[in-house]
Amino acid sequence: MTHEDWSDDDSDETVDLRLWRKLLKYTLHYRRTAVTFCVVAFGMAASDLGFPIVTGKLIADVEANGADANIAFYGWAYGVLAVSLCANICAFILCAGKIRTHVSHDIRRDAFQRLQELSFSFYDTKPVGWLMARLTSDCNRLSNILAWGVMDLIWGSTLMAGISVVMVIYNWKLAIAVLSVVPVLFAVSVFFRKRILRTSRLVRKANSRLTGVYNEGIAGVRTTKVFVRQEQNLHDFDQLADNMQEHSVRNAILSAVYLPIVLTVSSVAIALALVLGGHEVVLGTLAIGEVVMFMYYAQLFFAPVQDLSAWFAELQMAQASAERVLSLVEAVPDVRDTDSVTLRLSEMGSDGHPDAIGRIEFQDVGFRYRTGPEIIGALNLVVESGQTIALVGATGGGKSTLVNLLCRFYEPTEGRIVIDGIDYTDRSLRWFQSHLGIVLQQPHLFSGTICENIRYGDLEATQQQIEDAARLAGAHEFISELEQGYETSVGEGGNQLSLGQKQLVSFARAVLKRPRLLVMDEATSSIDTETEQQIQAGLARVLTGRTSFVIAHRLSTIRAADRILVIEKGKIIEQGTHTELVRQGGHYHDLYTEQSMRDIVRIDNAMDSGAETLQ
Amino acid sequence: MRAQSTHFVATSFVIKLPVHGASNQSPARPKAGKLQKSAKRTLWELTAGQRVRYASAIGAMAVGTVFLLVVPYVLQRTLDTITTGQADWSDTLVPAGIAIVVAHALHGFFTYLRGRWAAEASEGLVRQLRHRLYEHLERLPCDYHDHVDTGDLVQRCSSDVETVRVFLAAQVVEIARVALFVAVAIPIMLSQNLKMTLVSSCVLPVLVLFAVMFFRKVRGAFKDVDEAEAKLTTVVQENLTGIRVVRAFGRQEFEIDKFLQRNGKFRDLEYRLFHIMARFWTLSDALVFLQVGLVLIGGAWFVIHGELTLGQWVLFFWLVRTIIWPVRHIGRVLADSSKATVAIGRIQDVLSEEPESEQDITDEPVRGAIAVRDLSFAYRDGQAALNKLSLTIEQGETIALLGSPGSGKTTLVNLLVRLYDYTEGTIHIGDSELRELRRDSVRDAFGMVLQDPFLYSRSVRDNVVVGKSSAADHEVEESARAADIHENIVEFQNGYDTLVGERGVTLSGGQRQRLAIARALLKQPEFLVLDDSLSAVDTKTEAQILRALASRRGKQTTILIAHRLSSTRLADRIFVLDHGRLVQQGTHDELVAADGPYGRLWAIQGTIEDEIERDLSGAADR
Repeated sequence: MTHEDWSDDDSDETVDLRLWRKLLKYTLHYRRTAVTFCVVAFGMAASDLGFPIVTGKLIADVEANGADANIAFYGWAYGVLAVSLCANICAFILCAGKIRTHVSHDIRRDAFQRLQELSFSFYDTKPVGWLMARLTSDCNRLSNILAWGVMDLIWGSTLMAGISVVMVIYNWKLAIAVLSVVPVLFAVSVFFRKRILRTSRLVRKANSRLTGVYNEGIAGVRTTKVFVRQEQNLHDFDQLADNMQEHSVRNAILSAVYLPIVLTVSSVAIALALVLGGHEVVLGTLAIGEVVMFMYYAQLFFAPVQDLSAWFAELQMAQASAERVLSLVEAVPDVRDTDSVTLRLSEMGSDGHPDAIGRIEFQDVGFRYRTGPEIIGALNLVVESGQTIALVGATGGGKSTLVNLLCRFYEPTEGRIVIDGIDYTDRSLRWFQSHLGIVLQQPHLFSGTICENIRYGDLEATQQQIEDAARLAGAHEFISELEQGYETSVGEGGNQLSLGQKQLVSFARAVLKRPRLLVMDEATSSIDTETEQQIQAGLARVLTGRTSFVIAHRLSTIRAADRILVIEKGKIIEQGTHTELVRQGGHYHDLYTEQSMRDIVRIDNAMDSGAETLQ
Repeated sequence: MRAQSTHFVATSFVIKLPVHGASNQSPARPKAGKLQKSAKRTLWELTAGQRVRYASAIGAMAVGTVFLLVVPYVLQRTLDTITTGQADWSDTLVPAGIAIVVAHALHGFFTYLRGRWAAEASEGLVRQLRHRLYEHLERLPCDYHDHVDTGDLVQRCSSDVETVRVFLAAQVVEIARVALFVAVAIPIMLSQNLKMTLVSSCVLPVLVLFAVMFFRKVRGAFKDVDEAEAKLTTVVQENLTGIRVVRAFGRQEFEIDKFLQRNGKFRDLEYRLFHIMARFWTLSDALVFLQVGLVLIGGAWFVIHGELTLGQWVLFFWLVRTIIWPVRHIGRVLADSSKATVAIGRIQDVLSEEPESEQDITDEPVRGAIAVRDLSFAYRDGQAALNKLSLTIEQGETIALLGSPGSGKTTLVNLLVRLYDYTEGTIHIGDSELRELRRDSVRDAFGMVLQDPFLYSRSVRDNVVVGKSSAADHEVEESARAADIHENIVEFQNGYDTLVGERGVTLSGGQRQRLAIARALLKQPEFLVLDDSLSAVDTKTEAQILRALASRRGKQTTILIAHRLSSTRLADRIFVLDHGRLVQQGTHDELVAADGPYGRLWAIQGTIEDEIERDLSGAADR
């Protein structure tokens, strides 16, 4: 529902047919349906066209011949038309339904698959809500146009052309009279439809805001109570509700004005048919049946005009949707296999290098986001196979960027990263990333059971292996205390578990994978010291001979590393073992001292003196 | 008008009707019969204040209907005059033409009035309903909120309200319109010819009945589609928010498979819906054609046998074609309108919950020592949280609460701000019993940082000034500095005006906690409560915040809940809770010396600390 918020930032623009031609390819994928679809649209228009003729002829026949009128013939003719129209309607809904559902399915599929390939640099610029809106409301909107819009276009224009031709053939003077109203009607329709569409978007937007506020009101009810914000919140809510009411009423009033005007304008055509036609009847040049036929046509003409103007307005409004969806489907990932790797993969099934990750080298690596400032600059680093590297330093210093580069979520903008002597961009991305294990501070779990979440690390794992991994990660204990154990559902986003529990489960997931390269980004922040030590012991066993990178605040975690890198402003300013760094008396030493208990003693003194001055 | 129906097909799919998800089958629903009755009464009570406008809308519609149905009558008169050869240009035809346009215009005018009034009335009602719901939700006790699902509650406030809105704004009006159509059309027809009236209306009831029964039967299919869509959305959402995990585990293919399965399922179910709809439109259109065909052929037969004039025949034909499409549509409206009863019932469930009680016996200032005596408390689900707890916190004292999860720390502070009501034991603040103090004054006296801090999706500044609406910018900044979050905030793109959440900046756990601390500090409260609020911040920041707190020592009573001993150490006194009881209390030094849980905790932490101290002194020696 909140996705709606991201779908409304469109204004009406000129229709760019190039975009729609691309989208039409999705429809043409279902060639048979598309052809049937067109045939059916014509068939429907033709049947629609037939009714006034049968009606008019029947009336004229009765009028002229009285008891000798051939009622049975018209009965049959009417029956045939009715059956044909019903059959066409059935086929029409099935075809349009097929195109509508299948095209939106296909666009969504392409977009989703593309999203699985796109690099994080893409995700950095697009919030999840924005992406969701493309995959939900935009897909529906475009497929609606491609199915119902195209259908109405074919059917409507055929019908209008057909009616015009038939009327002109019967009586061109009456035809002109009836048709003279059409331009007015079209202009009025387009004018209103656009405004109605725009206000209805505003209503939807206001509505999704309102839903958001309810959500916030409920989720934040404790905060609201504790800060006694009820009045203020209700006041804010009322403003939004007023806004919603205002837009809704405006939207309804526009519709309330539009339909009567259309009806009145089209009644002019009916009246003209009656007056002019009636006059000709009096003169004896036209039958009453034919007057009825003209009035019937006059009425029949105006539904397609309304529909087409509605779609025309929608097409203009949906221009932005089409652009955004196509830009997503056609986006090219920044980080991808090079052409030569792709070639080797398709020819040999591998990238042609040994299946191992050993020595890792950063050679003059630099990185910046697009046009942003330099985040990492001229960084050199050699990590031998099996080493544990700890990264410390202030937030924003570039620790996370460094591991993102290591994992090839981004690629260096300068210099290169070399694994066992081979530039990692010359390796298969999929192969490389499938050997990574990553545990993040904000672990992401998928809705499903705990067991399913751990199994994500190795889809073929047995129950026993899953439990072993959980034990090593220190998660088994809390899991087995849960009523349903491993089958406990974690809820959407894992929200049924506490942060610490989520971290443990995501640890187990990484352990199960037995990655060649493990990255832990403040992965144990919400786990108590005792459990953390337990996990470290477990990891040490699993990860013998494997390389790992650890970002952490806790000293006990850092101390265990083979090498500690102090990172500041994108550079390694100190490195060495714990003891070496403490001896150096540099940044690490300061950082370390800051955290130790000595500081607390200082606080104690400060507090005591504070208390004294108060006394 | 035939063509109109195709447009209905299209729009009915473009605008998908709200169908409640699984929550419809919630077992907690009370008995249907009783509920429906009260639901209808609620609906009636709701219309208070808008009844006149609503009635005017229906009145306008009645007048409008008459004008529209005048048209076939005009046609009949004109055509019959022409047939009898008495027609001429200026006496018959032009007035008839003008009459048709005027009738349509008047019909249009009254339709506009109807549309406008009905919209104003129903939107006004719904606006009122929304207000009531929001206000009520904010007043319901935590006890209630603990036991309801947020998603379900939001759905009641959004899609259930929307169902009621559609019912009031469109369905009631549509039902009235069709009823009026029939009520006016039948007498007009009867005034012309009885037999022809029977022929012209015999299929109509069948049409309505068919539609009602059809939509009752296929309701499940609509629900299936909604559920499939919800599942698809969840898969996509989780994939996108967890994209790092997906990549890190190289699970793109697995994710694509999972997605394709859901995507395909949704497509198939939706397509099945189109099959169902195709069946409905085809069959009901066939019924419509049958009715119109009967009028045509039957009319011809009557005309030939002299029982009907040509004009009357056209009148019946025109009249039936005017009313038949709305009549066909009404079946669906009737079937859908039954949802309104369910929806209003679900809303009623929320509104009938008891809000937090509001009795203010004393209006004394909330200050002084906190004295808890024999306090016992159990949550609604029966889980005991406190068991005859007694403790005293002196005014201006800093105390730490320690204990394993579930020992009752959070419960105690929640009771202090009256988020829950206790029945056993007493809590005194100063000389007043807490229950006799106004909830709002109690909460005003406390600055509380909740265990899981909630931030509003507004600007950073707005989130901080929640603590004190009148705060000046420099005050906001000061408290942000004290919470060690100021440096972070100024680095955000728009500084204090940066939006929190997806549209702005996503905060880390530590930043959220610090922001929540800043707003509690801004309040400069009598009592400050930090409920495990430093767990996600690094030790350096922790020290910084503790230093800031130390400077306020003695001016405010501070209650700290924490796991790290570095936090609890600086308290004047430490209370150790276990299973809702007080097991140890005293200063840090006293407790370390004593044999008990605090001593054990200290030993574990101490080993690490000792090693660190050794390293450091070793380094210093060299």
